[in-house]
Amino acid sequence: MRRGQLTVLQGTLVLTVEGQLLEAFIHACVKQGCTFSDITYLNGRKVKVTVLLQDWPVLRRLRKNYRCKIKILTKKGAPFFLNRLRSRKALVTAVLIGFIAAFLLANTLWSIKITGLDPELEAEVESKLSSYGIQPGSSTFSMKQPREIQRLLLEDIPELLWVGVKKQGTSYQLYGVKQTNFDEADKPKPSNIVAAKKGLITKMFISKGRPTAEVNEVVKKGKLLATGELKEDSGEFIEAEGEVLAETWYRVEVDSELEREQNITDGDADHSFSIAINDFSIPVWGFWRKYEEQVRMESYNHSLELFGWKVPVQLRESLIYNNEEQQQSLSSDQSVNNSVETAKQSLLLQLDEEAEITDEKILHESKDHGKVKLILLVKVEENIAETKYVSQGD
Amino acid sequence: MSKWQNQLRNWVSQYFDLPADVMLDLPRITTIGSLHAYIENCTGLLHFSDREVRIQYRRGELSIKGKDLRIKMMLKQELLLEGELISIDFKELKEGG
Repeated sequence: MRRGQLTVLQGTLVLTVEGQLLEAFIHACVKQGCTFSDITYLNGRKVKVTVLLQDWPVLRRLRKNYRCKIKILTKKGAPFFLNRLRSRKALVTAVLIGFIAAFLLANTLWSIKITGLDPELEAEVESKLSSYGIQPGSSTFSMKQPREIQRLLLEDIPELLWVGVKKQGTSYQLYGVKQTNFDEADKPKPSNIVAAKKGLITKMFISKGRPTAEVNEVVKKGKLLATGELKEDSGEFIEAEGEVLAETWYRVEVDSELEREQNITDGDADHSFSIAINDFSIPVWGFWRKYEEQVRMESYNHSLELFGWKVPVQLRESLIYNNEEQQQSLSSDQSVNNSVETAKQSLLLQLDEEAEITDEKILHESKDHGKVKLILLVKVEENIAETKYVSQGD
Repeated sequence: MSKWQNQLRNWVSQYFDLPADVMLDLPRITTIGSLHAYIENCTGLLHFSDREVRIQYRRGELSIKGKDLRIKMMLKQELLLEGELISIDFKELKEGG
Protein backbone atom coordinates (compact mmCIF):
# COMPACT_ATOMS: atom_id res chain seq x y z
CA MET A 1 0.00 0.00 0.00
CA ARG A 2 2.49 2.52 -1.22
CA ARG A 3 -0.08 4.96 -2.33
CA GLY A 4 -3.57 5.47 -1.22
CA GLN A 5 -2.55 7.84 1.53
CA LEU A 6 -3.67 11.43 1.19
CA THR A 7 -6.02 10.62 -1.65
CA VAL A 8 -8.20 13.48 -0.47
CA LEU A 9 -5.48 15.94 -1.44
CA GLN A 10 -4.73 14.27 -4.75
CA GLY A 11 -8.33 13.91 -5.84
CA THR A 12 -10.02 10.71 -6.90
CA LEU A 13 -12.34 9.79 -9.73
CA VAL A 14 -14.98 7.08 -9.68
CA LEU A 15 -15.47 5.71 -13.18
CA THR A 16 -17.24 2.94 -15.02
CA VAL A 17 -15.17 1.14 -17.62
CA GLU A 18 -16.89 -0.85 -20.32
CA GLY A 19 -15.34 -2.86 -23.09
CA GLN A 20 -14.28 -6.28 -24.34
CA LEU A 21 -10.64 -5.72 -23.47
CA LEU A 22 -11.44 -4.48 -20.00
CA GLU A 23 -8.91 -6.56 -18.06
CA ALA A 24 -6.16 -5.85 -20.55
CA PHE A 25 -6.88 -2.16 -20.33
CA ILE A 26 -6.70 -2.17 -16.55
CA HIS A 27 -3.53 -4.18 -16.63
CA ALA A 28 -1.91 -1.86 -19.15
CA CYS A 29 -2.79 1.14 -17.00
CA VAL A 30 -1.36 -0.53 -13.90
CA LYS A 31 1.85 -1.24 -15.77
CA GLN A 32 2.16 2.48 -16.50
CA GLY A 33 2.04 3.12 -12.79
CA CYS A 34 -1.61 3.80 -12.14
CA THR A 35 -3.27 2.75 -8.93
CA PHE A 36 -6.68 1.20 -9.16
CA SER A 37 -8.82 0.62 -6.15
CA ASP A 38 -12.30 -0.64 -5.39
CA ILE A 39 -12.80 -2.50 -8.64
CA THR A 40 -16.32 -3.88 -8.47
CA TYR A 41 -18.10 -5.98 -11.01
CA LEU A 42 -21.29 -4.49 -12.44
CA ASN A 43 -22.26 -6.75 -15.31
CA GLY A 44 -20.73 -8.75 -18.19
CA ARG A 45 -18.21 -6.26 -19.46
CA LYS A 46 -18.57 -3.34 -17.13
CA VAL A 47 -16.78 -2.52 -13.90
CA LYS A 48 -16.66 0.35 -11.51
CA VAL A 49 -13.20 1.60 -10.49
CA THR A 50 -11.69 4.33 -8.42
CA VAL A 51 -8.52 5.98 -9.69
CA LEU A 52 -6.38 8.90 -8.69
CA LEU A 53 -6.79 12.10 -10.63
CA GLN A 54 -3.12 12.16 -11.55
CA ASP A 55 -3.55 8.85 -13.43
CA TRP A 56 -6.32 10.21 -15.59
CA PRO A 57 -4.11 11.18 -18.58
CA VAL A 58 -2.79 7.62 -18.79
CA LEU A 59 -6.31 6.22 -18.82
CA ARG A 60 -7.36 8.62 -21.52
CA ARG A 61 -4.37 7.77 -23.63
CA LEU A 62 -4.90 4.03 -23.39
CA ARG A 63 -8.67 3.76 -23.70
CA LYS A 64 -8.56 4.22 -27.48
CA ASN A 65 -6.15 1.31 -27.90
CA TYR A 66 -8.32 -1.04 -25.90
CA ARG A 67 -11.64 0.35 -27.12
CA CYS A 68 -13.02 1.00 -23.70
CA LYS A 69 -15.79 3.39 -22.80
CA ILE A 70 -15.14 5.41 -19.70
CA LYS A 71 -17.80 7.33 -17.84
CA ILE A 72 -17.04 9.53 -14.87
CA LEU A 73 -19.46 9.02 -12.01
CA THR A 74 -18.14 11.23 -9.24
CA LYS A 75 -15.20 13.49 -8.56
CA LYS A 76 -13.85 13.78 -5.07
CA GLY A 77 -10.98 15.53 -3.36
CA ALA A 78 -9.27 18.85 -2.96
CA PRO A 79 -8.54 19.71 -6.65
CA PHE A 80 -12.22 19.50 -7.56
CA PHE A 81 -13.21 21.36 -4.43
CA LEU A 82 -10.82 24.18 -5.27
CA ASN A 83 -12.11 24.26 -8.80
CA ARG A 84 -15.64 24.64 -7.53
CA LEU A 85 -14.54 27.38 -5.17
CA ARG A 86 -12.98 29.28 -8.02
CA SER A 87 -16.42 29.74 -9.50
CA ARG A 88 -17.78 31.00 -6.18
CA LYS A 89 -15.58 33.98 -5.56
CA ALA A 90 -18.12 35.74 -3.36
CA LEU A 91 -18.14 32.87 -0.90
CA VAL A 92 -14.36 32.71 -0.79
CA THR A 93 -14.02 36.43 -0.21
CA ALA A 94 -16.70 36.31 2.48
CA VAL A 95 -14.86 33.55 4.32
CA LEU A 96 -11.58 35.41 3.96
CA ILE A 97 -13.08 38.64 5.23
CA GLY A 98 -14.59 36.71 8.10
CA PHE A 99 -11.21 35.33 9.07
CA ILE A 100 -9.54 38.70 8.79
CA ALA A 101 -12.27 40.35 10.84
CA ALA A 102 -12.01 37.69 13.53
CA PHE A 103 -8.25 38.09 13.56
CA LEU A 104 -8.44 41.86 13.82
CA LEU A 105 -11.12 41.79 16.50
CA ALA A 106 -9.17 39.25 18.49
CA ASN A 107 -6.17 41.57 18.33
CA THR A 108 -8.06 44.62 19.42
CA LEU A 109 -8.05 45.83 22.98
CA TRP A 110 -11.61 45.95 24.22
CA SER A 111 -11.40 46.97 27.83
CA ILE A 112 -9.08 48.29 30.47
CA LYS A 113 -9.84 47.43 34.03
CA ILE A 114 -8.15 49.30 36.83
CA THR A 115 -8.63 48.22 40.39
CA GLY A 116 -7.28 49.26 43.73
CA LEU A 117 -6.92 52.96 42.96
CA ASP A 118 -9.03 55.99 43.78
CA PRO A 119 -10.87 57.64 40.86
CA GLU A 120 -8.39 60.51 40.54
CA LEU A 121 -5.40 58.26 40.17
CA GLU A 122 -7.38 55.91 37.99
CA ALA A 123 -8.10 58.74 35.56
CA GLU A 124 -4.44 59.65 35.52
CA VAL A 125 -3.39 56.07 34.84
CA GLU A 126 -5.95 55.91 32.07
CA SER A 127 -4.72 59.09 30.44
CA LYS A 128 -1.12 57.88 30.69
CA LEU A 129 -2.12 54.58 29.14
CA SER A 130 -3.81 56.31 26.24
CA SER A 131 -0.70 58.40 25.72
CA TYR A 132 1.21 55.12 25.31
CA GLY A 133 -1.39 54.13 22.75
CA ILE A 134 -3.33 51.83 24.99
CA GLN A 135 -7.03 52.53 24.92
CA PRO A 136 -10.10 50.51 24.10
CA GLY A 137 -10.32 50.06 20.35
CA SER A 138 -6.63 50.19 19.57
CA SER A 139 -4.92 47.19 18.11
CA THR A 140 -2.54 45.11 20.18
CA PHE A 141 0.05 44.68 17.45
CA SER A 142 1.87 47.91 18.15
CA MET A 143 1.48 47.73 21.91
CA LYS A 144 4.38 47.43 24.25
CA GLN A 145 4.83 44.50 26.53
CA PRO A 146 2.92 44.62 29.83
CA ARG A 147 6.21 44.69 31.72
CA GLU A 148 7.35 47.71 29.76
CA ILE A 149 4.06 49.45 30.48
CA GLN A 150 4.38 48.66 34.14
CA ARG A 151 7.81 50.28 34.22
CA LEU A 152 6.62 53.36 32.31
CA LEU A 153 3.61 53.82 34.59
CA LEU A 154 5.73 53.59 37.71
CA GLU A 155 8.16 56.13 36.26
CA ASP A 156 5.54 58.59 35.09
CA ILE A 157 3.20 58.50 38.06
CA PRO A 158 5.11 59.00 41.26
CA GLU A 159 2.01 58.46 43.40
CA LEU A 160 1.94 54.83 42.40
CA LEU A 161 3.70 52.52 44.78
CA TRP A 162 3.20 49.49 42.63
CA VAL A 163 1.15 48.56 39.62
CA GLY A 164 0.50 45.14 38.18
CA VAL A 165 -0.25 45.01 34.49
CA LYS A 166 -1.73 41.89 33.04
CA LYS A 167 -2.99 41.33 29.56
CA GLN A 168 -5.79 38.84 29.49
CA GLY A 169 -7.13 38.12 26.05
CA THR A 170 -8.53 41.34 24.73
CA SER A 171 -8.49 43.22 28.01
CA TYR A 172 -5.89 44.85 30.17
CA GLN A 173 -6.11 44.40 33.88
CA LEU A 174 -4.25 46.78 36.11
CA TYR A 175 -3.95 46.55 39.82
CA GLY A 176 -2.46 49.54 41.49
CA VAL A 177 -1.36 50.40 44.98
CA LYS A 178 -1.20 54.02 45.95
CA GLN A 179 1.75 55.36 47.78
CA THR A 180 0.69 56.58 51.17
CA ASN A 181 2.83 59.26 52.65
CA PHE A 182 3.02 59.19 56.37
CA ASP A 183 3.54 62.78 57.25
CA GLU A 184 5.35 63.13 60.47
CA ALA A 185 3.34 65.14 62.89
CA ASP A 186 5.73 68.06 62.90
CA LYS A 187 4.74 69.50 66.17
CA PRO A 188 1.94 68.69 68.53
CA LYS A 189 -0.70 71.32 67.96
CA PRO A 190 -1.91 72.62 71.21
CA SER A 191 -5.59 71.96 71.52
CA ASN A 192 -8.49 71.46 73.91
CA ILE A 193 -11.63 69.42 73.63
CA VAL A 194 -14.90 71.29 73.96
CA ALA A 195 -18.53 70.24 73.76
CA ALA A 196 -20.04 70.58 70.29
CA LYS A 197 -23.59 70.31 71.60
CA LYS A 198 -25.55 70.55 74.76
CA GLY A 199 -25.83 67.16 76.43
CA LEU A 200 -25.49 64.84 79.38
CA ILE A 201 -22.15 63.08 79.42
CA THR A 202 -22.54 59.32 79.63
CA LYS A 203 -19.05 58.12 78.85
CA MET A 204 -15.70 59.77 78.58
CA PHE A 205 -12.41 58.56 77.27
CA ILE A 206 -9.64 61.10 77.01
CA SER A 207 -6.53 59.48 75.55
CA LYS A 208 -4.40 62.62 75.69
CA GLY A 209 -5.01 65.56 77.90
CA ARG A 210 -6.58 66.34 81.25
CA PRO A 211 -10.37 65.95 81.60
CA THR A 212 -12.21 68.87 83.07
CA ALA A 213 -15.74 67.48 83.04
CA GLU A 214 -17.24 64.40 84.61
CA VAL A 215 -19.64 61.68 83.64
CA ASN A 216 -23.29 62.52 84.34
CA GLU A 217 -22.56 66.18 84.04
CA VAL A 218 -24.80 68.31 81.87
CA VAL A 219 -22.66 70.44 79.60
CA LYS A 220 -23.58 73.36 77.39
CA LYS A 221 -22.24 73.98 73.95
CA GLY A 222 -18.67 75.19 74.04
CA LYS A 223 -17.93 73.90 77.54
CA LEU A 224 -14.35 72.75 78.01
CA LEU A 225 -14.30 68.97 78.39
CA ALA A 226 -10.59 68.27 78.39
CA THR A 227 -7.56 70.49 78.19
CA GLY A 228 -4.21 69.98 76.53
CA GLU A 229 -2.51 71.88 79.36
CA LEU A 230 -1.32 69.01 81.48
CA LYS A 231 -0.12 71.08 84.41
CA GLU A 232 -2.35 73.88 85.54
CA ASP A 233 -1.14 77.34 84.51
CA SER A 234 2.04 75.92 83.04
CA GLY A 235 1.22 77.32 79.61
CA GLU A 236 2.50 74.13 77.97
CA PHE A 237 -0.09 72.52 75.76
CA ILE A 238 -0.27 69.20 73.99
CA GLU A 239 -2.85 68.04 71.49
CA ALA A 240 -5.83 66.75 73.43
CA GLU A 241 -7.52 63.71 72.00
CA GLY A 242 -10.49 61.73 73.17
CA GLU A 243 -14.05 60.73 72.86
CA VAL A 244 -16.94 62.06 74.88
CA LEU A 245 -20.24 60.29 74.50
CA ALA A 246 -23.22 62.27 75.64
CA GLU A 247 -26.98 62.10 75.61
CA THR A 248 -28.43 64.87 73.47
CA TRP A 249 -32.00 65.83 72.73
CA TYR A 250 -33.67 66.85 69.52
CA ARG A 251 -37.11 68.25 68.85
CA VAL A 252 -38.55 66.95 65.64
CA GLU A 253 -41.75 68.05 63.91
CA VAL A 254 -43.35 65.78 61.34
CA ASP A 255 -46.44 65.97 59.19
CA SER A 256 -47.98 62.95 57.60
CA GLU A 257 -51.08 62.30 55.59
CA LEU A 258 -53.66 59.72 56.52
CA GLU A 259 -54.28 58.78 52.94
CA ARG A 260 -51.66 58.06 50.44
CA GLU A 261 -51.46 57.15 46.81
CA GLN A 262 -49.32 54.34 45.66
CA ASN A 263 -48.22 53.31 42.22
CA ILE A 264 -47.88 49.57 42.06
CA THR A 265 -46.21 47.67 39.29
CA ASP A 266 -45.38 44.06 39.06
CA GLY A 267 -41.93 43.23 37.84
CA ASP A 268 -43.14 42.05 34.44
CA ALA A 269 -42.16 44.37 31.68
CA ASP A 270 -42.72 44.36 27.96
CA HIS A 271 -39.67 45.19 25.93
CA SER A 272 -39.83 47.17 22.78
CA PHE A 273 -36.87 48.19 20.70
CA SER A 274 -36.29 50.98 18.26
CA ILE A 275 -33.35 52.38 16.38
CA ALA A 276 -32.72 56.00 17.18
CA ILE A 277 -30.78 58.48 15.12
CA ASN A 278 -30.59 61.68 17.10
CA ASP A 279 -34.25 62.47 17.90
CA PHE A 280 -35.71 60.42 15.15
CA SER A 281 -36.54 56.84 16.00
CA ILE A 282 -37.65 53.85 13.97
CA PRO A 283 -39.59 51.18 15.86
CA VAL A 284 -38.17 47.74 15.35
CA TRP A 285 -39.76 45.35 17.78
CA GLY A 286 -42.78 45.37 20.06
CA PHE A 287 -44.32 48.55 18.69
CA TRP A 288 -47.59 46.80 17.86
CA ARG A 289 -48.72 46.44 21.44
CA LYS A 290 -51.50 48.73 22.56
CA TYR A 291 -51.99 49.68 26.15
CA GLU A 292 -55.31 50.69 27.58
CA GLU A 293 -54.39 50.74 31.22
CA GLN A 294 -52.02 53.08 32.82
CA VAL A 295 -48.43 52.20 32.09
CA ARG A 296 -45.06 53.37 33.17
CA MET A 297 -42.34 53.51 30.57
CA GLU A 298 -38.60 53.47 31.04
CA SER A 299 -36.23 54.02 28.15
CA TYR A 300 -32.59 53.18 27.88
CA ASN A 301 -30.26 54.03 25.05
CA HIS A 302 -27.59 51.57 24.09
CA SER A 303 -24.95 53.23 22.03
CA LEU A 304 -22.82 51.17 19.72
CA GLU A 305 -19.12 51.63 19.47
CA LEU A 306 -16.84 50.58 16.69
CA PHE A 307 -13.08 50.89 17.11
CA GLY A 308 -13.54 53.59 19.69
CA TRP A 309 -15.80 55.59 17.42
CA LYS A 310 -19.37 56.11 18.52
CA VAL A 311 -21.88 55.12 15.90
CA PRO A 312 -24.55 57.81 15.63
CA VAL A 313 -27.23 55.15 15.49
CA GLN A 314 -28.46 54.03 18.87
CA LEU A 315 -30.54 51.15 20.00
CA ARG A 316 -33.33 52.31 22.26
CA GLU A 317 -34.91 49.82 24.58
CA SER A 318 -38.19 50.70 26.23
CA LEU A 319 -39.54 48.80 29.17
CA ILE A 320 -43.25 49.13 29.73
CA TYR A 321 -44.64 48.23 33.11
CA ASN A 322 -48.27 47.94 34.01
CA ASN A 323 -49.13 50.53 36.54
CA GLU A 324 -51.86 50.47 39.10
CA GLU A 325 -52.76 53.30 41.36
CA GLN A 326 -53.89 52.45 44.79
CA GLN A 327 -55.36 54.59 47.45
CA GLN A 328 -54.32 53.52 50.85
CA SER A 329 -55.84 54.93 53.95
CA LEU A 330 -53.91 54.46 57.12
CA SER A 331 -55.22 54.26 60.61
CA SER A 332 -53.96 57.00 62.85
CA ASP A 333 -51.82 54.53 64.81
CA GLN A 334 -50.10 53.32 61.65
CA SER A 335 -49.63 56.85 60.48
CA VAL A 336 -48.05 57.88 63.77
CA ASN A 337 -45.72 54.89 63.71
CA ASN A 338 -44.71 55.66 60.17
CA SER A 339 -43.98 59.27 60.92
CA VAL A 340 -41.92 58.41 63.99
CA GLU A 341 -39.85 56.02 61.87
CA THR A 342 -39.28 58.57 59.12
CA ALA A 343 -38.42 61.22 61.66
CA LYS A 344 -35.80 58.97 63.23
CA GLN A 345 -34.34 58.07 59.89
CA SER A 346 -34.03 61.65 58.71
CA LEU A 347 -32.51 62.69 62.00
CA LEU A 348 -29.89 59.95 61.80
CA LEU A 349 -28.98 61.16 58.34
CA GLN A 350 -28.08 64.53 59.74
CA LEU A 351 -25.98 63.17 62.57
CA ASP A 352 -22.64 61.39 62.72
CA GLU A 353 -22.40 57.79 61.74
CA GLU A 354 -21.85 56.60 65.28
CA ALA A 355 -24.86 58.41 66.65
CA GLU A 356 -27.52 56.15 68.08
CA ILE A 357 -31.11 56.87 68.95
CA THR A 358 -31.86 55.61 72.41
CA ASP A 359 -35.39 56.84 73.04
CA GLU A 360 -38.15 58.95 71.57
CA LYS A 361 -41.26 60.51 73.01
CA ILE A 362 -44.28 62.11 71.40
CA LEU A 363 -44.78 65.51 72.89
CA HIS A 364 -47.75 66.61 70.90
CA GLU A 365 -50.12 65.02 68.41
CA SER A 366 -52.81 66.81 66.42
CA LYS A 367 -55.04 65.90 63.53
CA ASP A 368 -56.66 68.15 60.95
CA HIS A 369 -57.60 68.03 57.25
CA GLY A 370 -56.55 64.42 56.98
CA LYS A 371 -53.09 65.13 58.29
CA VAL A 372 -51.35 64.12 61.46
CA LYS A 373 -48.93 66.54 62.99
CA LEU A 374 -46.42 65.29 65.51
CA ILE A 375 -43.85 66.89 67.70
CA LEU A 376 -41.26 64.42 68.94
CA LEU A 377 -38.47 64.53 71.40
CA VAL A 378 -35.68 62.18 70.43
CA LYS A 379 -32.89 61.11 72.72
CA VAL A 380 -29.60 60.43 70.98
CA GLU A 381 -26.27 59.18 72.20
CA GLU A 382 -23.41 60.65 70.23
CA ASN A 383 -19.88 61.89 70.39
CA ILE A 384 -19.81 65.56 71.24
CA ALA A 385 -16.06 66.01 71.48
CA GLU A 386 -14.73 68.81 69.31
CA THR A 387 -11.10 69.74 69.00
CA LYS A 388 -10.36 73.39 69.47
CA TYR A 389 -6.88 74.65 68.82
CA VAL A 390 -5.36 77.02 71.24
CA SER A 391 -3.38 79.95 69.99
CA GLN A 392 -0.47 80.33 72.31
CA GLY A 393 0.16 83.87 71.37
CA ASP A 394 3.84 83.62 70.61
CA MET B 1 13.19 -19.86 -19.21
CA SER B 2 15.22 -22.90 -19.89
CA LYS B 3 15.00 -26.06 -17.88
CA TRP B 4 18.50 -26.10 -16.45
CA GLN B 5 18.14 -22.46 -15.33
CA ASN B 6 14.98 -23.44 -13.51
CA GLN B 7 16.64 -26.32 -11.78
CA LEU B 8 19.55 -24.12 -10.78
CA ARG B 9 17.22 -21.64 -9.19
CA ASN B 10 15.42 -24.39 -7.36
CA TRP B 11 18.69 -25.70 -6.04
CA VAL B 12 19.95 -22.23 -4.99
CA SER B 13 16.80 -21.45 -3.10
CA GLN B 14 16.95 -24.73 -1.26
CA TYR B 15 20.64 -24.60 -0.58
CA PHE B 16 20.71 -21.02 0.72
CA ASP B 17 17.32 -21.35 2.36
CA LEU B 18 15.98 -18.38 0.41
CA PRO B 19 12.25 -17.76 0.05
CA ALA B 20 10.96 -19.50 -3.02
CA ASP B 21 8.89 -16.58 -4.28
CA VAL B 22 11.93 -14.36 -4.61
CA MET B 23 14.00 -16.87 -6.48
CA LEU B 24 11.41 -18.54 -8.59
CA ASP B 25 9.08 -15.70 -9.62
CA LEU B 26 6.17 -17.45 -8.03
CA PRO B 27 3.14 -15.60 -6.73
CA ARG B 28 2.90 -15.15 -3.00
CA ILE B 29 -0.66 -15.36 -1.84
CA THR B 30 -1.69 -14.38 1.64
CA THR B 31 -5.27 -15.04 2.60
CA ILE B 32 -7.08 -13.99 5.71
CA GLY B 33 -9.68 -16.68 6.20
CA SER B 34 -11.86 -16.48 3.19
CA LEU B 35 -12.19 -12.72 3.39
CA HIS B 36 -9.06 -11.32 1.76
CA ALA B 37 -6.42 -12.54 -0.61
CA TYR B 38 -3.25 -10.54 -1.02
CA ILE B 39 -1.40 -11.56 -4.12
CA GLU B 40 2.13 -10.45 -4.89
CA ASN B 41 4.30 -11.10 -7.88
CA CYS B 42 1.45 -11.18 -10.35
CA THR B 43 2.04 -9.93 -13.85
CA GLY B 44 -1.41 -9.44 -15.25
CA LEU B 45 -5.14 -9.51 -14.89
CA LEU B 46 -6.73 -11.92 -17.30
CA HIS B 47 -10.33 -12.01 -16.26
CA PHE B 48 -12.41 -10.26 -13.71
CA SER B 49 -15.97 -10.89 -12.61
CA ASP B 50 -17.67 -11.17 -9.25
CA ARG B 51 -17.41 -14.99 -9.34
CA GLU B 52 -13.96 -15.57 -10.77
CA VAL B 53 -10.70 -13.69 -11.03
CA ARG B 54 -7.90 -15.00 -13.18
CA ILE B 55 -4.43 -13.64 -12.64
CA GLN B 56 -1.30 -14.22 -14.65
CA TYR B 57 2.09 -14.80 -13.14
CA ARG B 58 5.44 -15.46 -14.67
CA ARG B 59 5.01 -19.18 -14.96
CA GLY B 60 1.32 -19.70 -15.20
CA GLU B 61 -2.14 -18.67 -14.33
CA LEU B 62 -4.03 -18.41 -11.09
CA SER B 63 -7.77 -18.74 -10.81
CA ILE B 64 -9.58 -17.57 -7.72
CA LYS B 65 -13.23 -18.44 -7.38
CA GLY B 66 -15.62 -16.93 -4.92
CA LYS B 67 -18.67 -14.80 -4.38
CA ASP B 68 -18.99 -11.01 -4.59
CA LEU B 69 -15.35 -10.61 -5.44
CA ARG B 70 -13.91 -7.17 -5.84
CA ILE B 71 -10.40 -5.79 -6.11
CA LYS B 72 -9.74 -3.48 -3.23
CA MET B 73 -6.47 -2.24 -4.63
CA MET B 74 -4.35 -2.96 -7.64
CA LEU B 75 -0.73 -1.97 -8.21
CA LYS B 76 1.93 -3.09 -10.62
CA GLN B 77 2.67 -6.42 -8.97
CA GLU B 78 0.29 -6.48 -6.11
CA LEU B 79 -3.39 -7.12 -5.86
CA LEU B 80 -5.73 -7.13 -2.87
CA LEU B 81 -8.87 -9.13 -3.36
CA GLU B 82 -11.94 -8.96 -1.17
CA GLY B 83 -15.04 -11.08 -1.01
CA GLU B 84 -15.97 -14.58 -0.10
CA LEU B 85 -13.22 -16.88 -1.42
CA ILE B 86 -14.03 -20.41 -2.35
CA SER B 87 -11.00 -21.81 -4.12
CA ILE B 88 -7.62 -20.97 -5.52
CA ASP B 89 -6.47 -23.03 -8.49
CA PHE B 90 -3.07 -23.07 -10.15
CA LYS B 91 -2.49 -23.80 -13.78
CA GLU B 92 1.20 -23.97 -14.49
CA LEU B 93 2.19 -23.49 -18.06
CA LYS B 94 4.26 -26.15 -19.69
CA GLU B 95 7.79 -25.21 -20.54
CA GLY B 96 7.91 -23.02 -23.55
CA GLY B 97 4.13 -22.53 -23.44
